[in-house]
Amino acid sequence: MSAPRSMQVPAVPATRSGALAEGWSAVWAQRSARWGMGIVLAYVLAALFAPWLATHDPVAQAVEAAMQAPSTAHWLGTDSFGQDIYSRLLYGARLALAIGFGSVLLGMVAGVALGLIAGLAGGRIEWAIMRVVDGLLAFPELILAMAFLAVLGPGVDNLVYALALSFVGPFARTVRSDVLQVRAQPYVEAARLMGVPMREIVLRHVLLNVAPGIVVQAGIRVSIAILLESGLSFLGVGVVPPTPDWGLMIAEGRAFITMAPWISGIPGLALAILLVALNLLADGLRDALDPRSGETR
Amino acid sequence: MLNRLFAQVGQTALVLFFVSVASFVFLKLAPGDPVSLMLGSDYNKDSYDKLFTELGLDRPWAAQYASWLGDFVTGDWGRSFVSNEDIFRLAVMQALPVTLCLAAYALVLALLIGIPAGVLSALKRDTWMDLCATGVAVFGNAFPSFYLGIVLIWVFGVGLGWFPTLGFVAPWENLLEGLWYLTLPAITLAAWYIGLIARVTRASLLDVLGHSYILAARARGEGSARVVWVHAMRNVLMPLTTTIGLQLGGMLRGAVMTEVVFALPGLGMMITAATLNREYTVVQAGVMLSGLLFVIVNLVVDQLYTWLDPRLRRLA
Amino acid sequence: MSKIDHRSLLAAKLAKDFSRGRRALLGAGAAAGALGLAGIGSTALVSDAHAQGQPVKRGGTIRLGWIDALDTLDPHFTSSLGSIKVINNVFNGLLKVTWDGKKVGFEPDLAEKWDAVSDRVHVFRLRKGVKFHNGDPLNAEAVKWSVERVRDPANKSQHAYHFEDLTSVDVVDEFTVRLTFSKPYAFLPVALTGSTGRAGTIVCRSAIEKLGRDYGRNPVGTGPFKFVSWRENDSIVLERNPDYFEKGLPYLDRVEIRLIREPSSGVAALLAGQVDGLSLVPFQFVPELRKSPNIALYGQVEGNYSYVGMNNRKGPFMDVNLRRAVAHAIDRDVIVKQGYFGEAIPAFTPISPPMTPFYDVNIAKSSRGHRLDLKKAMEFRKKAADQSEVTPVYIVAEGFTGSGGSGTRISQLLGPMLAKIGVKPKVELSDRAAWLKRRNTGDFDMFDEAWIADLDPHETITPEWSTGRQWNFVGYSNPEFDKLVAEASDTLDTKRRIVLYNRAVDVLLDDAPLAMLAHRKVFKAFTRRVRGFQYIPVDLLNLHTVSLG
Repeated sequence: MSAPRSMQVPAVPATRSGALAEGWSAVWAQRSARWGMGIVLAYVLAALFAPWLATHDPVAQAVEAAMQAPSTAHWLGTDSFGQDIYSRLLYGARLALAIGFGSVLLGMVAGVALGLIAGLAGGRIEWAIMRVVDGLLAFPELILAMAFLAVLGPGVDNLVYALALSFVGPFARTVRSDVLQVRAQPYVEAARLMGVPMREIVLRHVLLNVAPGIVVQAGIRVSIAILLESGLSFLGVGVVPPTPDWGLMIAEGRAFITMAPWISGIPGLALAILLVALNLLADGLRDALDPRSGETR
Repeated sequence: MLNRLFAQVGQTALVLFFVSVASFVFLKLAPGDPVSLMLGSDYNKDSYDKLFTELGLDRPWAAQYASWLGDFVTGDWGRSFVSNEDIFRLAVMQALPVTLCLAAYALVLALLIGIPAGVLSALKRDTWMDLCATGVAVFGNAFPSFYLGIVLIWVFGVGLGWFPTLGFVAPWENLLEGLWYLTLPAITLAAWYIGLIARVTRASLLDVLGHSYILAARARGEGSARVVWVHAMRNVLMPLTTTIGLQLGGMLRGAVMTEVVFALPGLGMMITAATLNREYTVVQAGVMLSGLLFVIVNLVVDQLYTWLDPRLRRLA
Repeated sequence: MSKIDHRSLLAAKLAKDFSRGRRALLGAGAAAGALGLAGIGSTALVSDAHAQGQPVKRGGTIRLGWIDALDTLDPHFTSSLGSIKVINNVFNGLLKVTWDGKKVGFEPDLAEKWDAVSDRVHVFRLRKGVKFHNGDPLNAEAVKWSVERVRDPANKSQHAYHFEDLTSVDVVDEFTVRLTFSKPYAFLPVALTGSTGRAGTIVCRSAIEKLGRDYGRNPVGTGPFKFVSWRENDSIVLERNPDYFEKGLPYLDRVEIRLIREPSSGVAALLAGQVDGLSLVPFQFVPELRKSPNIALYGQVEGNYSYVGMNNRKGPFMDVNLRRAVAHAIDRDVIVKQGYFGEAIPAFTPISPPMTPFYDVNIAKSSRGHRLDLKKAMEFRKKAADQSEVTPVYIVAEGFTGSGGSGTRISQLLGPMLAKIGVKPKVELSDRAAWLKRRNTGDFDMFDEAWIADLDPHETITPEWSTGRQWNFVGYSNPEFDKLVAEASDTLDTKRRIVLYNRAVDVLLDDAPLAMLAHRKVFKAFTRRVRGFQYIPVDLLNLHTVSLG
């Protein structure tokens, strides 16, 4: 999460050459990260090739075939409308990943920008920005998303905006404290004295140094986004049915948890596995991108 | 010191002001109002207009906000539009203690499970034990809490009958029964934090274990248990405190779904219901309280830092 | 539903009771006195529900899970059936609704005797010695004040329309009150019970004058239970009223109502035995509860109908042919099976089974009303002005399908059905507050909802579909319909009323501002230790005769 980052001793300036390849091999070197990456990749592929992999139309209802347990006809069973859960799961992966990554990306861009500005500008601007950020953080995420969604109206795009809003605060906060630490480093000071323009300092030194922390945080936040999204469906303001969406499937299936546990259980499990993978990947990224962790090896 | 405190208070007040304006604007912009909800299927224009006026909802937004703010700072938190309940009583006397109990219980559970899991996986890094501990910890926060809660209710409440399925009994009136009632909700809420705490513990322990002073201690021949628990853990406490600090605010907020599932009359339930009812006075009270808690927790965490880290103490 | 003609049985009973009174009012035979005119003698003894022959166990606390939301416990200002179910245990009306398993009846409650002096003048003799929970006496003054409170235009009660033709309320003596109407009022008995405890409920003047709007949180009534406390989002507690006027009742000492937002948690609590009953069972959980040997389910098709409303004022459904096409494209068997899990019957018209004799038990075999007929639907579709694909905005709010909220199930089921006639609704999901706003302001092309807990055709179609009336959200207007229902309301002769309502319904359904869906069952569930519950098919949960085994 964000917090430990701000307490850590800042990293040494990154060497540009081959950093990416090095980072990649460092991630790959870790078993759990490999697992994580493999699973996430599998999900992405499933989402991409959903139309080919699916056995049914994800929104085709079949009255006679409602609430059937997994079988050869319906590999993962059917829901209360007789829709094929396996096919809905595949299409649902698209939405889950789109909502997860979309909202985090959006929140990240806004949060990083605010954090950078606050950290670099200092003074009153910083103070003002951070008070706004504090305010955002004071809202319960779910409530913030709920209220914002009520304002914006229904729709997947609005859902992404609403979730993104709740991510602005945490990103801004982390980035700002990272920037403050990086800024205090002698080499940044030196660069400034050498007359390197601030913009370049920011891009070259600051952003590169805070990037690992942000990436790791983003990885974890993607799972939070998907969880929040399902929470909104639970409260009845999420994705519009019958859109194949995991959160919606879980929320709708909770009514049949004893009669037909697979309706909510299967999307729940799919979601859980994705989230575990994302977390493993994020952990791996942290270890790989954070040079200090190399010391232990 | 006093100056700093004043600055803090001022800052807090400003944040809370911002929060209240934001929640007010959100709820006003959102379509719908408490009166149409109250009338529901019995809607008619006359009753609607009368109630709307009676509740002061017809005034300009600025006037509504200003009168709310004026009353609020003088200690009159107003009344719920729908139920006419006194909001101070509702929020502070009723909802807040419920959420605090729930959060505290969940925190204790999360620490009791999360720290050992993190230590284990750090010490046995990259073994199957690491993978298991991480896996278990991580799985805890992989399910939506409403789903986890419902599953727990059916398994431990209905199936096995070990715990009550819902409701709240005040622990300050009957400690054991109160805890018994709160167990399933606390597990639901803690699940998210167990993984987090385990991860932070693992990461920072690994970090610390590589440091020279630990290597030195090891070289001196100190037992590895002692090294871990005395030298290393002390340094794990810092990031852990930060995480918990940040998350405690989040935990109070994360209680939203847990409270709805378990029918606990806490802050999360209150704010959710009020948001759906467009009761801006209740939402504002709730969000202000949640914001205030967030700020208080941050202050406490700051104090804990200086206490934990002698360097910071000197700086202060 | 049974095939017994409830209403005419009731009519016969009322007529008999009436002839015991002095005046043969209409002289129109048994059916004439059908509604509204009777002086019913003594109160039926209610406790015979404990027919098992075991002595009734007194005392104890019943814990109930309340899944439906509450607004206020002030009967004159509540719109929530969740509240009304509580209110009916705390308050009384002049009359009350009863159900003997076959027919709905209206029996005196606070009134001891009801005399119809003429078709517009009704005299009620009150029980003596009845006291409000705060000790105030219940007398003619109290009744007058209470009735006038609902009627007073200044109070803007949403139930005031029940008494819009009431010209005066007079105190004859301490325990006699006279209601004078400007015209015959067939709906009167229902209004006086307030249908389910609303307009005709007698409230306590001194408490209201003292508490104002807070009365809704601290109700004072005359009912079997006294109000103790209401903790928001948590619980409502009632306790036994030792001075209750029905001798020996109630049996329970205390009622603890737990307010539950999440229905699946409520069902779990019932199965775990943590609550003894549920105020409502969403259809999704009915199969589960039916399986359980420890649970008794009470539920029948009640006086309701669910429907799809189509906007007559704007958008594609201004075209009557498109509306007709929709009405005939809906497969109501699928709606019943999938939307309501089999716990409903298809609705051909808005007149529901408990509204005997208005309900035609052979409606399925007739040709009246809305029914699936794709050929007809296609014909209407071809006549529609817009021959391209139509995408009406369909507003929905999420929720479990219980007695009130309709959730999103219907919209999901309608999608494929309407696609067959080239109508592809654009479903827009929002929370209930936003949904209500859009419905009330006509910001939609279609929505689905249900009118519930109705006992008489008057309340089930008149305020809903008459021109400019309060619940006519789709903006339907047909003078012929208006005339027919207005005439029916003023008519006391049941046969004539049947004819009028049938004609009104035919006009309405031909114009199809709504497409009929289903008449639904409404459930209460109790564990087996709960005894003596008397089911009344207007979504009531009366605890008067309930005891714990």
